[in-house]
Amino acid sequence: MLDQFATPAPDEAVKLALRRIEESTARGEGSNVEGLAFNEVVVNMGPQHPSTHGVLRLVVTLDGELVKDVIPVIGYLHRCKEKLAEKRTYFQYIPIVDRTEYVAGMNCEWGYVMTVEKLAGIRPTRRAEFIRVIMAELNRIASHQVAVGTFTADLAPLGTAMVFYMFRDREYILDLLEEVSGARMMFNYFRFGGLRYDLPDGWVEKCRDLMKRLPKLIDEYESLVQDNAIFLQRCVGKGVITQQDVIDYGITGPCARASGVAHDLRRTRPYSVYPELEFEVCTENHGDIFDRYQVRMDEMRESVKIVEQALDMLPQGPVQLGSLRAPYVITPPPGECYTGQENPRGEFGTYIVSDGSRYPYRLKFRDPCFCNLQLFPKLLSGNKIADAVAISGSIDLVLGGIDR
Amino acid sequence: MGLEIGTNPLDMDTIAARLAADFAAELTDVRVQEPDTVVARCDGAALKDVARRLKAHPEIGYETLNFVAGVDKVGHLESVYHVYSWKTNTYLELHVEVPQATAEVDTVCDVWPAADWHERESWDLVGIRYLGHPDLRRILLKDDFVGHPLRKDYVDSAENHPHA
Repeated sequence: MLDQFATPAPDEAVKLALRRIEESTARGEGSNVEGLAFNEVVVNMGPQHPSTHGVLRLVVTLDGELVKDVIPVIGYLHRCKEKLAEKRTYFQYIPIVDRTEYVAGMNCEWGYVMTVEKLAGIRPTRRAEFIRVIMAELNRIASHQVAVGTFTADLAPLGTAMVFYMFRDREYILDLLEEVSGARMMFNYFRFGGLRYDLPDGWVEKCRDLMKRLPKLIDEYESLVQDNAIFLQRCVGKGVITQQDVIDYGITGPCARASGVAHDLRRTRPYSVYPELEFEVCTENHGDIFDRYQVRMDEMRESVKIVEQALDMLPQGPVQLGSLRAPYVITPPPGECYTGQENPRGEFGTYIVSDGSRYPYRLKFRDPCFCNLQLFPKLLSGNKIADAVAISGSIDLVLGGIDR
Repeated sequence: MGLEIGTNPLDMDTIAARLAADFAAELTDVRVQEPDTVVARCDGAALKDVARRLKAHPEIGYETLNFVAGVDKVGHLESVYHVYSWKTNTYLELHVEVPQATAEVDTVCDVWPAADWHERESWDLVGIRYLGHPDLRRILLKDDFVGHPLRKDYVDSAENHPHA
Protein backbone atom coordinates (compact mmCIF):
# COMPACT_ATOMS: atom_id res chain seq x y z
CA MET A 1 0.00 0.00 0.00
CA LEU A 2 1.13 3.52 -0.74
CA ASP A 3 2.42 5.21 2.39
CA GLN A 4 1.61 8.86 1.87
CA PHE A 5 3.65 9.94 4.88
CA ALA A 6 6.82 8.19 3.82
CA THR A 7 9.75 10.42 2.93
CA PRO A 8 10.01 10.37 -0.86
CA ALA A 9 13.22 9.00 -2.32
CA PRO A 10 15.57 11.81 -3.35
CA ASP A 11 15.29 12.58 -7.04
CA GLU A 12 18.10 13.49 -9.41
CA ALA A 13 18.24 17.15 -8.37
CA VAL A 14 18.46 16.38 -4.66
CA LYS A 15 21.05 13.68 -5.31
CA LEU A 16 23.06 16.23 -7.25
CA ALA A 17 22.86 18.73 -4.39
CA LEU A 18 24.01 16.08 -1.89
CA ARG A 19 26.82 15.01 -4.22
CA ARG A 20 28.03 18.60 -4.49
CA ILE A 21 28.09 18.89 -0.69
CA GLU A 22 30.17 15.72 -0.48
CA GLU A 23 32.55 17.10 -3.07
CA SER A 24 32.97 20.39 -1.26
CA THR A 25 33.54 18.55 2.02
CA ALA A 26 36.17 16.40 0.34
CA ARG A 27 37.86 19.59 -0.84
CA GLY A 28 37.97 20.65 2.80
CA GLU A 29 35.67 23.65 2.45
CA GLY A 30 34.10 24.70 5.72
CA SER A 31 31.33 27.07 6.61
CA ASN A 32 31.41 30.69 5.47
CA VAL A 33 29.50 31.76 8.53
CA GLU A 34 31.64 33.03 11.35
CA GLY A 35 31.37 31.04 14.57
CA LEU A 36 29.64 28.16 12.89
CA ALA A 37 31.01 24.72 12.36
CA PHE A 38 30.41 23.12 9.00
CA ASN A 39 26.69 23.46 8.64
CA GLU A 40 25.02 22.72 5.34
CA VAL A 41 21.47 21.74 4.76
CA VAL A 42 19.51 21.03 1.59
CA VAL A 43 16.15 22.76 1.50
CA ASN A 44 13.53 22.02 -1.10
CA MET A 45 11.62 25.17 -2.11
CA GLY A 46 8.59 24.53 -4.24
CA PRO A 47 7.08 23.50 -6.59
CA GLN A 48 4.22 24.70 -4.38
CA HIS A 49 5.60 27.73 -2.59
CA PRO A 50 4.01 31.16 -2.21
CA SER A 51 7.16 33.05 -3.15
CA THR A 52 7.91 31.36 -6.46
CA HIS A 53 4.86 32.56 -8.47
CA GLY A 54 4.27 29.26 -10.12
CA VAL A 55 5.52 25.74 -9.98
CA LEU A 56 9.21 26.58 -9.85
CA ARG A 57 11.20 24.29 -7.62
CA LEU A 58 14.56 25.28 -6.20
CA VAL A 59 16.75 22.78 -4.41
CA VAL A 60 18.73 25.16 -2.22
CA THR A 61 21.86 24.25 -0.31
CA LEU A 62 22.12 26.50 2.71
CA ASP A 63 25.17 27.26 4.78
CA GLY A 64 23.64 28.75 7.87
CA GLU A 65 21.46 31.45 6.39
CA LEU A 66 23.57 31.87 3.27
CA VAL A 67 22.67 30.28 -0.01
CA LYS A 68 25.56 28.16 -1.16
CA ASP A 69 24.12 26.43 -4.19
CA VAL A 70 20.84 26.42 -6.09
CA ILE A 71 19.55 23.78 -8.47
CA PRO A 72 16.39 24.93 -10.26
CA VAL A 73 14.07 22.10 -11.22
CA ILE A 74 11.53 22.89 -13.90
CA GLY A 75 9.04 20.98 -16.01
CA TYR A 76 6.10 20.85 -13.61
CA LEU A 77 4.01 22.86 -16.06
CA HIS A 78 5.25 21.15 -19.20
CA ARG A 79 2.38 20.86 -21.63
CA CYS A 80 4.28 19.47 -24.62
CA LYS A 81 3.69 22.61 -26.68
CA GLU A 82 6.37 21.79 -29.19
CA LYS A 83 5.01 18.28 -29.62
CA LEU A 84 1.45 19.60 -29.97
CA ALA A 85 2.59 21.75 -32.88
CA GLU A 86 3.32 18.63 -34.93
CA LYS A 87 -0.36 17.72 -35.11
CA ARG A 88 -1.92 21.20 -35.30
CA THR A 89 -2.19 23.38 -38.36
CA TYR A 90 -0.57 26.79 -38.14
CA PHE A 91 -3.99 28.30 -37.58
CA GLN A 92 -5.05 25.84 -34.89
CA TYR A 93 -1.92 26.57 -32.94
CA ILE A 94 -2.66 30.26 -32.24
CA PRO A 95 -4.69 29.74 -29.03
CA ILE A 96 -2.00 27.40 -27.69
CA VAL A 97 0.58 30.18 -27.94
CA ASP A 98 -1.48 32.31 -25.54
CA ARG A 99 -0.86 29.72 -22.90
CA THR A 100 2.93 29.77 -23.07
CA GLU A 101 3.51 33.03 -21.22
CA TYR A 102 0.00 33.55 -20.07
CA VAL A 103 0.65 36.88 -18.36
CA ALA A 104 1.48 38.44 -21.74
CA GLY A 105 -0.69 36.51 -24.16
CA MET A 106 -0.95 39.24 -26.79
CA ASN A 107 2.82 39.56 -27.05
CA CYS A 108 3.30 35.81 -27.39
CA GLU A 109 0.64 35.52 -30.08
CA TRP A 110 2.28 38.33 -31.96
CA GLY A 111 5.66 36.63 -31.82
CA TYR A 112 4.24 33.42 -33.27
CA VAL A 113 2.00 35.04 -35.88
CA MET A 114 4.84 37.31 -37.00
CA THR A 115 7.11 34.32 -37.60
CA VAL A 116 4.54 32.46 -39.67
CA GLU A 117 3.80 35.62 -41.65
CA LYS A 118 7.47 36.08 -42.39
CA LEU A 119 7.76 32.45 -43.43
CA ALA A 120 4.70 32.63 -45.68
CA GLY A 121 5.45 36.10 -47.01
CA ILE A 122 2.27 37.70 -45.70
CA ARG A 123 2.16 41.40 -44.83
CA PRO A 124 -0.60 42.39 -42.41
CA THR A 125 -2.72 45.46 -43.09
CA ARG A 126 -1.54 48.78 -41.75
CA ARG A 127 -4.47 49.25 -39.40
CA ALA A 128 -3.84 45.78 -37.99
CA GLU A 129 -0.21 46.67 -37.33
CA PHE A 130 -1.19 49.65 -35.21
CA ILE A 131 -3.82 47.74 -33.28
CA ARG A 132 -1.23 45.03 -32.66
CA VAL A 133 1.13 47.61 -31.18
CA ILE A 134 -1.65 48.93 -28.95
CA MET A 135 -2.58 45.46 -27.73
CA ALA A 136 1.01 44.44 -27.09
CA GLU A 137 1.78 47.61 -25.14
CA LEU A 138 -1.42 47.41 -23.08
CA ASN A 139 -0.51 43.85 -22.28
CA ARG A 140 3.01 44.93 -21.39
CA ILE A 141 1.65 47.38 -18.81
CA ALA A 142 -0.67 44.73 -17.36
CA SER A 143 2.21 42.27 -17.24
CA HIS A 144 4.54 44.69 -15.46
CA GLN A 145 1.78 45.39 -12.97
CA VAL A 146 1.67 41.70 -12.14
CA ALA A 147 5.46 41.54 -12.02
CA VAL A 148 6.04 44.51 -9.75
CA GLY A 149 2.93 43.89 -7.68
CA THR A 150 3.75 40.33 -6.74
CA PHE A 151 7.41 41.18 -6.31
CA THR A 152 6.65 43.86 -3.72
CA ALA A 153 4.37 41.40 -1.96
CA ASP A 154 7.40 39.15 -1.52
CA LEU A 155 9.14 41.95 0.34
CA ALA A 156 7.35 41.72 3.64
CA PRO A 157 7.30 45.42 4.70
CA LEU A 158 4.66 46.44 2.20
CA GLY A 159 2.48 43.45 2.71
CA THR A 160 0.00 43.07 -0.08
CA ALA A 161 -0.87 46.78 -0.42
CA MET A 162 0.88 47.27 -3.74
CA VAL A 163 -0.58 44.11 -5.24
CA PHE A 164 -4.08 45.42 -4.71
CA TYR A 165 -3.34 48.80 -6.23
CA MET A 166 -1.75 47.21 -9.26
CA PHE A 167 -4.28 44.48 -9.76
CA ARG A 168 -7.07 47.03 -9.42
CA ASP A 169 -5.65 49.02 -12.32
CA ARG A 170 -4.77 45.93 -14.29
CA GLU A 171 -8.48 45.22 -14.36
CA TYR A 172 -9.07 48.38 -16.40
CA ILE A 173 -6.61 47.15 -18.99
CA LEU A 174 -8.02 43.65 -19.03
CA ASP A 175 -11.48 45.15 -19.52
CA LEU A 176 -10.20 46.91 -22.62
CA LEU A 177 -8.60 43.74 -23.95
CA GLU A 178 -11.74 41.78 -23.16
CA GLU A 179 -13.89 44.21 -25.11
CA VAL A 180 -11.69 43.72 -28.14
CA SER A 181 -10.99 40.02 -28.07
CA GLY A 182 -13.67 38.53 -25.84
CA ALA A 183 -11.17 37.10 -23.36
CA ARG A 184 -9.20 38.42 -20.43
CA MET A 185 -6.07 36.29 -20.68
CA MET A 186 -6.33 33.70 -23.44
CA PHE A 187 -7.09 36.15 -26.23
CA ASN A 188 -6.84 34.18 -29.48
CA TYR A 189 -7.00 37.55 -31.22
CA PHE A 190 -4.16 37.59 -33.74
CA ARG A 191 -4.64 36.18 -37.22
CA PHE A 192 -2.23 35.70 -40.09
CA GLY A 193 -2.44 38.90 -42.08
CA GLY A 194 -4.32 40.85 -39.45
CA LEU A 195 -6.62 40.44 -36.51
CA ARG A 196 -9.79 38.63 -35.65
CA TYR A 197 -12.01 41.66 -34.98
CA ASP A 198 -11.82 45.38 -35.50
CA LEU A 199 -12.02 47.64 -32.46
CA PRO A 200 -15.57 48.00 -31.13
CA ASP A 201 -17.34 51.39 -31.21
CA GLY A 202 -16.18 53.81 -28.56
CA TRP A 203 -13.16 51.70 -27.65
CA VAL A 204 -10.61 54.27 -28.77
CA GLU A 205 -12.11 56.90 -26.44
CA LYS A 206 -12.13 54.49 -23.52
CA CYS A 207 -8.51 53.62 -24.18
CA ARG A 208 -7.50 57.29 -24.43
CA ASP A 209 -9.27 57.97 -21.17
CA LEU A 210 -7.36 55.21 -19.41
CA MET A 211 -4.06 56.35 -20.89
CA LYS A 212 -4.72 59.79 -19.38
CA ARG A 213 -5.24 58.29 -15.95
CA LEU A 214 -2.47 55.71 -15.98
CA PRO A 215 0.57 57.99 -15.50
CA LYS A 216 -1.00 59.34 -12.32
CA LEU A 217 -1.65 55.84 -11.12
CA ILE A 218 1.96 54.88 -11.82
CA ASP A 219 3.08 57.89 -9.77
CA GLU A 220 0.85 56.61 -7.02
CA TYR A 221 2.56 53.21 -7.08
CA GLU A 222 5.94 54.86 -6.87
CA SER A 223 4.95 57.04 -3.94
CA LEU A 224 4.00 53.86 -2.12
CA VAL A 225 7.40 52.22 -2.32
CA GLN A 226 10.07 54.58 -3.52
CA ASP A 227 10.73 56.26 -0.17
CA ASN A 228 10.16 53.23 1.98
CA ALA A 229 13.43 52.64 3.83
CA ILE A 230 12.86 48.93 4.23
CA PHE A 231 12.03 48.53 0.56
CA LEU A 232 15.24 50.31 -0.40
CA GLN A 233 17.31 48.31 2.06
CA ARG A 234 16.08 45.09 0.58
CA CYS A 235 16.53 46.18 -3.04
CA VAL A 236 19.55 48.41 -3.47
CA GLY A 237 22.75 46.59 -4.29
CA LYS A 238 21.25 43.12 -4.04
CA GLY A 239 21.22 40.50 -6.78
CA VAL A 240 23.45 42.31 -9.23
CA ILE A 241 23.46 41.06 -12.83
CA THR A 242 26.66 42.18 -14.54
CA GLN A 243 27.01 42.94 -18.22
CA GLN A 244 29.20 39.86 -18.55
CA ASP A 245 26.27 37.79 -17.25
CA VAL A 246 24.06 39.38 -19.87
CA ILE A 247 26.51 38.34 -22.58
CA ASP A 248 27.22 34.87 -21.23
CA TYR A 249 23.68 33.78 -20.46
CA GLY A 250 21.68 35.67 -23.05
CA ILE A 251 19.74 37.67 -20.46
CA THR A 252 17.15 39.87 -22.14
CA GLY A 253 14.35 42.24 -21.24
CA PRO A 254 14.21 44.48 -18.15
CA CYS A 255 16.84 42.29 -16.45
CA ALA A 256 19.36 43.18 -19.15
CA ARG A 257 18.31 46.82 -19.44
CA ALA A 258 18.68 47.30 -15.69
CA SER A 259 22.35 46.41 -16.18
CA GLY A 260 22.87 49.21 -18.66
CA VAL A 261 22.42 47.13 -21.80
CA ALA A 262 20.09 48.98 -24.16
CA HIS A 263 18.93 45.79 -25.83
CA ASP A 264 15.31 46.10 -26.87
CA LEU A 265 14.15 44.23 -29.96
CA ARG A 266 11.69 47.01 -30.72
CA ARG A 267 14.78 49.11 -31.46
CA THR A 268 17.64 46.69 -32.13
CA ARG A 269 15.69 44.38 -34.45
CA PRO A 270 12.72 46.58 -35.29
CA TYR A 271 9.51 44.95 -36.39
CA SER A 272 6.04 46.12 -37.32
CA VAL A 273 5.56 49.93 -37.08
CA TYR A 274 7.85 50.52 -34.09
CA PRO A 275 10.34 52.54 -36.18
CA GLU A 276 7.58 55.13 -36.68
CA LEU A 277 6.89 55.49 -32.98
CA GLU A 278 8.86 57.53 -30.51
CA PHE A 279 9.86 55.99 -27.22
CA GLU A 280 12.88 55.59 -25.01
CA VAL A 281 14.62 52.32 -24.25
CA CYS A 282 14.68 52.53 -20.44
CA THR A 283 17.98 51.54 -18.89
CA GLU A 284 19.60 51.74 -15.47
CA ASN A 285 23.19 51.17 -14.52
CA HIS A 286 23.56 49.04 -11.41
CA GLY A 287 21.73 45.87 -12.39
CA ASP A 288 20.39 45.31 -8.90
CA ILE A 289 16.86 44.54 -7.74
CA PHE A 290 15.93 48.19 -7.45
CA ASP A 291 17.03 48.96 -11.00
CA ARG A 292 14.96 46.12 -12.38
CA TYR A 293 11.97 47.50 -10.53
CA GLN A 294 12.74 50.99 -11.83
CA VAL A 295 13.07 49.83 -15.43
CA ARG A 296 9.65 48.20 -15.26
CA MET A 297 8.08 51.35 -13.85
CA ASP A 298 9.67 53.48 -16.58
CA GLU A 299 8.62 51.03 -19.26
CA MET A 300 5.01 51.29 -18.17
CA ARG A 301 5.21 55.05 -18.76
CA GLU A 302 6.83 54.51 -22.15
CA SER A 303 4.15 52.02 -23.09
CA VAL A 304 1.49 54.60 -22.26
CA LYS A 305 3.25 56.99 -24.65
CA ILE A 306 3.40 54.36 -27.38
CA VAL A 307 -0.29 53.54 -27.04
CA GLU A 308 -1.22 57.23 -27.22
CA GLN A 309 0.86 57.70 -30.36
CA ALA A 310 -0.55 54.59 -31.98
CA LEU A 311 -4.09 55.77 -31.21
CA ASP A 312 -3.33 59.11 -32.85
CA MET A 313 -1.83 57.48 -35.92
CA LEU A 314 -4.41 54.70 -36.19
CA PRO A 315 -5.38 54.56 -39.89
CA GLN A 316 -8.74 53.52 -41.27
CA GLY A 317 -9.07 50.37 -43.32
CA PRO A 318 -9.52 46.65 -42.95
CA VAL A 319 -7.94 44.72 -40.07
CA GLN A 320 -7.64 41.55 -42.09
CA LEU A 321 -6.14 41.01 -45.52
CA GLY A 322 -8.94 40.61 -48.05
CA SER A 323 -7.09 37.87 -49.88
CA LEU A 324 -6.88 35.93 -46.63
CA ARG A 325 -10.49 36.20 -45.51
CA ALA A 326 -10.36 32.59 -44.36
CA PRO A 327 -6.74 32.16 -43.28
CA TYR A 328 -7.39 28.70 -41.90
CA VAL A 329 -5.15 26.85 -44.27
CA ILE A 330 -1.72 28.39 -44.43
CA THR A 331 1.03 26.48 -46.13
CA PRO A 332 4.33 28.35 -45.91
CA PRO A 333 6.99 27.23 -48.37
CA PRO A 334 9.70 24.89 -47.05
CA GLY A 335 12.30 26.74 -45.05
CA GLU A 336 13.00 27.98 -41.59
CA CYS A 337 12.61 31.23 -39.80
CA TYR A 338 13.37 32.77 -36.43
CA THR A 339 11.94 36.02 -35.16
CA GLY A 340 12.20 37.54 -31.75
CA GLN A 341 9.55 39.68 -30.17
CA GLU A 342 10.10 42.01 -27.25
CA ASN A 343 7.98 40.41 -24.60
CA PRO A 344 7.61 42.14 -21.20
CA ARG A 345 10.20 39.66 -19.91
CA GLY A 346 12.63 39.74 -22.78
CA GLU A 347 13.15 38.15 -26.15
CA PHE A 348 10.34 35.75 -26.93
CA GLY A 349 11.50 33.97 -30.04
CA THR A 350 9.77 31.51 -32.30
CA TYR A 351 11.80 29.20 -34.50
CA ILE A 352 9.79 27.35 -37.13
CA VAL A 353 10.97 24.76 -39.62
CA SER A 354 8.45 24.29 -42.39
CA ASP A 355 8.32 21.37 -44.81
CA GLY A 356 5.66 23.00 -46.98
CA SER A 357 2.74 21.22 -45.36
CA ARG A 358 -0.13 22.59 -43.27
CA TYR A 359 1.63 21.60 -40.05
CA PRO A 360 4.84 23.09 -38.65
CA TYR A 361 7.57 20.48 -39.04
CA ARG A 362 9.35 21.75 -35.94
CA LEU A 363 8.43 24.65 -33.74
CA LYS A 364 10.56 25.92 -30.90
CA PHE A 365 10.04 28.76 -28.51
CA ARG A 366 12.98 30.67 -27.13
CA ASP A 367 11.55 31.81 -23.86
CA PRO A 368 13.11 34.77 -22.02
CA CYS A 369 12.37 33.37 -18.55
CA PHE A 370 14.03 30.05 -19.43
CA CYS A 371 17.23 31.90 -20.26
CA ASN A 372 17.01 34.26 -17.29
CA LEU A 373 16.35 31.41 -14.88
CA GLN A 374 19.57 29.77 -15.96
CA LEU A 375 21.47 32.51 -14.17
CA PHE A 376 19.86 31.65 -10.82
CA PRO A 377 22.59 29.43 -9.36
CA LYS A 378 25.12 32.18 -9.98
CA LEU A 379 22.83 35.01 -8.95
CA LEU A 380 21.54 33.57 -5.69
CA SER A 381 24.73 31.98 -4.36
CA GLY A 382 26.25 33.98 -1.55
CA ASN A 383 23.04 35.80 -0.69
CA LYS A 384 20.85 35.30 2.35
CA ILE A 385 17.89 33.04 1.77
CA ALA A 386 15.47 35.92 2.43
CA ASP A 387 17.17 37.96 -0.30
CA ALA A 388 16.96 34.99 -2.62
CA VAL A 389 13.20 35.33 -2.53
CA ALA A 390 13.43 39.04 -3.34
CA ILE A 391 15.87 38.41 -6.18
CA SER A 392 13.78 35.69 -7.76
CA GLY A 393 10.77 37.99 -7.55
CA SER A 394 12.66 40.75 -9.32
CA ILE A 395 13.59 38.47 -12.24
CA ASP A 396 9.86 38.00 -12.90
CA LEU A 397 9.50 34.39 -13.96
CA VAL A 398 6.43 32.97 -15.64
CA LEU A 399 6.53 29.23 -15.44
CA GLY A 400 4.15 28.76 -18.34
CA GLY A 401 6.86 30.07 -20.60
CA ILE A 402 9.74 28.25 -18.97
CA ASP A 403 8.10 24.84 -19.04
CA ARG A 404 6.14 25.31 -22.26
CA MET B 1 28.78 52.84 -19.20
CA GLY B 2 26.65 50.64 -21.32
CA LEU B 3 27.37 47.58 -23.35
CA GLU B 4 27.33 49.15 -26.79
CA ILE B 5 25.22 47.59 -29.49
CA GLY B 6 26.13 47.85 -33.15
CA THR B 7 29.50 49.58 -32.68
CA ASN B 8 30.77 47.96 -35.86
CA PRO B 9 27.87 48.11 -38.32
CA LEU B 10 28.55 45.92 -41.33
CA ASP B 11 26.07 45.01 -43.99
CA MET B 12 24.95 41.41 -44.23
CA ASP B 13 26.79 40.53 -47.42
CA THR B 14 30.07 41.76 -45.95
CA ILE B 15 29.57 39.66 -42.83
CA ALA B 16 28.69 36.57 -44.85
CA ALA B 17 31.76 37.12 -47.04
CA ARG B 18 34.01 37.61 -44.01
CA LEU B 19 32.72 34.42 -42.39
CA ALA B 20 33.09 32.45 -45.62
CA ALA B 21 36.68 33.68 -45.95
CA ASP B 22 37.77 33.30 -42.32
CA PHE B 23 36.16 29.89 -41.91
CA ALA B 24 36.71 28.63 -45.43
CA ALA B 25 37.57 25.12 -44.25
CA GLU B 26 34.77 24.73 -41.69
CA LEU B 27 31.67 26.68 -42.68
CA THR B 28 29.81 25.62 -45.79
CA ASP B 29 26.67 26.87 -47.46
CA VAL B 30 27.01 30.39 -46.03
CA ARG B 31 24.05 32.53 -47.04
CA VAL B 32 22.17 35.59 -45.86
CA GLN B 33 18.64 35.34 -44.57
CA GLU B 34 17.01 38.76 -44.61
CA PRO B 35 17.06 40.98 -42.74
CA ASP B 36 19.86 40.25 -40.28
CA THR B 37 20.82 36.59 -40.10
CA VAL B 38 23.65 34.62 -41.66
CA VAL B 39 22.90 30.93 -42.04
CA ALA B 40 25.74 28.43 -42.30
CA ARG B 41 26.45 24.74 -41.91
CA CYS B 42 29.29 23.29 -39.94
CA ASP B 43 30.73 19.83 -39.43
CA GLY B 44 30.17 18.33 -35.98
CA ALA B 45 33.85 17.47 -35.52
CA ALA B 46 34.91 21.08 -36.04
CA LEU B 47 32.09 22.60 -33.99
CA LYS B 48 33.92 23.37 -30.79
CA ASP B 49 36.86 24.99 -32.50
CA VAL B 50 34.56 26.98 -34.77
CA ALA B 51 32.44 28.11 -31.81
CA ARG B 52 35.50 29.34 -29.97
CA ARG B 53 36.76 31.26 -32.97
CA LEU B 54 33.32 32.69 -33.77
CA LYS B 55 33.09 34.03 -30.26
CA ALA B 56 36.56 35.54 -30.36
CA HIS B 57 36.24 36.98 -33.89
CA PRO B 58 37.62 40.52 -33.57
CA GLU B 59 35.21 42.29 -35.92
CA ILE B 60 32.01 40.31 -35.56
CA GLY B 61 32.32 38.30 -32.35
CA TYR B 62 29.27 36.10 -31.74
CA GLU B 63 29.38 36.44 -27.98
CA THR B 64 25.89 35.44 -26.91
CA LEU B 65 24.12 32.16 -27.55
CA ASN B 66 20.45 32.81 -28.09
CA PHE B 67 19.20 29.23 -28.15
CA VAL B 68 19.92 25.71 -29.33
CA ALA B 69 17.22 23.81 -31.20
CA GLY B 70 17.34 20.12 -31.98
CA VAL B 71 15.56 19.10 -35.17
CA ASP B 72 14.86 15.57 -36.38
CA LYS B 73 15.30 15.70 -40.15
CA VAL B 74 14.54 11.97 -40.59
CA GLY B 75 17.75 10.26 -41.63
CA HIS B 76 19.83 12.61 -39.55
CA LEU B 77 19.40 15.00 -36.65
CA GLU B 78 20.34 18.61 -36.61
CA SER B 79 21.52 20.85 -33.82
CA VAL B 80 20.84 24.51 -34.61
CA TYR B 81 22.76 27.21 -32.74
CA HIS B 82 21.43 30.73 -32.88
CA VAL B 83 24.04 33.24 -31.78
CA TYR B 84 24.09 37.00 -31.51
CA SER B 85 26.81 39.50 -32.29
CA TRP B 86 26.64 42.68 -30.20
CA LYS B 87 29.21 44.46 -32.32
CA THR B 88 27.28 44.17 -35.56
CA ASN B 89 23.80 43.62 -34.06
CA THR B 90 23.26 40.59 -36.30
CA TYR B 91 22.64 36.90 -35.84
CA LEU B 92 24.20 33.67 -37.02
CA GLU B 93 22.27 30.45 -37.39
CA LEU B 94 24.67 27.55 -37.33
CA HIS B 95 23.37 24.16 -38.48
CA VAL B 96 25.29 21.10 -37.37
CA GLU B 97 24.36 17.72 -38.79
CA VAL B 98 24.27 14.97 -36.18
CA PRO B 99 24.24 11.34 -37.37
CA GLN B 100 21.11 9.49 -36.29
CA ALA B 101 23.01 6.33 -35.29
CA THR B 102 25.20 7.90 -32.62
CA ALA B 103 23.24 11.14 -32.06
CA GLU B 104 26.35 12.67 -30.54
CA VAL B 105 27.95 16.07 -30.91
CA ASP B 106 30.38 18.09 -28.81
CA THR B 107 29.01 20.46 -26.23
CA VAL B 108 29.59 24.20 -26.56
CA CYS B 109 28.87 24.84 -22.86
CA ASP B 110 32.45 25.89 -22.19
CA VAL B 111 32.30 28.44 -25.01
CA TRP B 112 28.84 29.87 -24.42
CA PRO B 113 27.70 29.19 -20.83
CA ALA B 114 24.08 29.69 -21.91
CA ALA B 115 24.26 26.45 -23.88
CA ASP B 116 23.95 24.43 -20.67
CA TRP B 117 20.16 24.35 -20.35
CA HIS B 118 19.46 24.60 -24.05
CA GLU B 119 21.52 21.49 -24.70
CA ARG B 120 19.78 19.72 -21.86
CA GLU B 121 16.46 20.58 -23.44
CA SER B 122 17.60 19.36 -26.82
CA TRP B 123 18.79 16.10 -25.24
CA ASP B 124 15.54 15.72 -23.35
CA LEU B 125 13.19 16.30 -26.27
CA VAL B 126 15.18 15.35 -29.36
CA GLY B 127 17.76 12.98 -27.90
CA ILE B 128 20.96 14.60 -29.08
CA ARG B 129 23.75 13.66 -26.70
CA TYR B 130 26.15 16.54 -26.10
CA LEU B 131 29.55 15.07 -25.32
CA GLY B 132 31.38 16.73 -22.47
CA HIS B 133 28.31 18.46 -21.07
CA PRO B 134 28.78 18.81 -17.30
CA ASP B 135 25.26 17.80 -16.29
CA LEU B 136 23.26 16.27 -19.12
CA ARG B 137 20.04 15.45 -17.24
CA ARG B 138 16.48 15.71 -18.50
CA ILE B 139 15.10 19.16 -17.93
CA LEU B 140 11.43 19.41 -18.93
CA LEU B 141 10.36 15.77 -18.65
CA LYS B 142 10.61 13.53 -15.62
CA ASP B 143 13.86 11.82 -14.75
CA ASP B 144 12.44 8.38 -15.50
CA PHE B 145 10.72 9.24 -18.78
CA VAL B 146 11.61 6.87 -21.61
CA GLY B 147 12.37 8.14 -25.11
CA HIS B 148 12.67 11.51 -26.80
CA PRO B 149 9.26 12.80 -27.89
CA LEU B 150 10.30 15.20 -30.63
CA ARG B 151 11.90 12.40 -32.65
CA LYS B 152 9.69 11.78 -35.64
CA ASP B 153 9.72 8.03 -34.95
CA TYR B 154 8.68 8.41 -31.32
CA VAL B 155 5.66 6.30 -30.40
CA ASP B 156 3.95 7.11 -27.13
CA SER B 157 3.06 4.26 -24.80
CA ALA B 158 2.16 3.85 -21.14
CA GLU B 159 5.56 2.29 -20.39
CA ASN B 160 7.20 5.60 -21.28
CA HIS B 161 5.55 7.28 -18.29
CA PRO B 162 6.35 5.13 -15.26
CA HIS B 163 4.93 7.68 -12.84
CA ALA B 164 1.87 8.94 -14.71
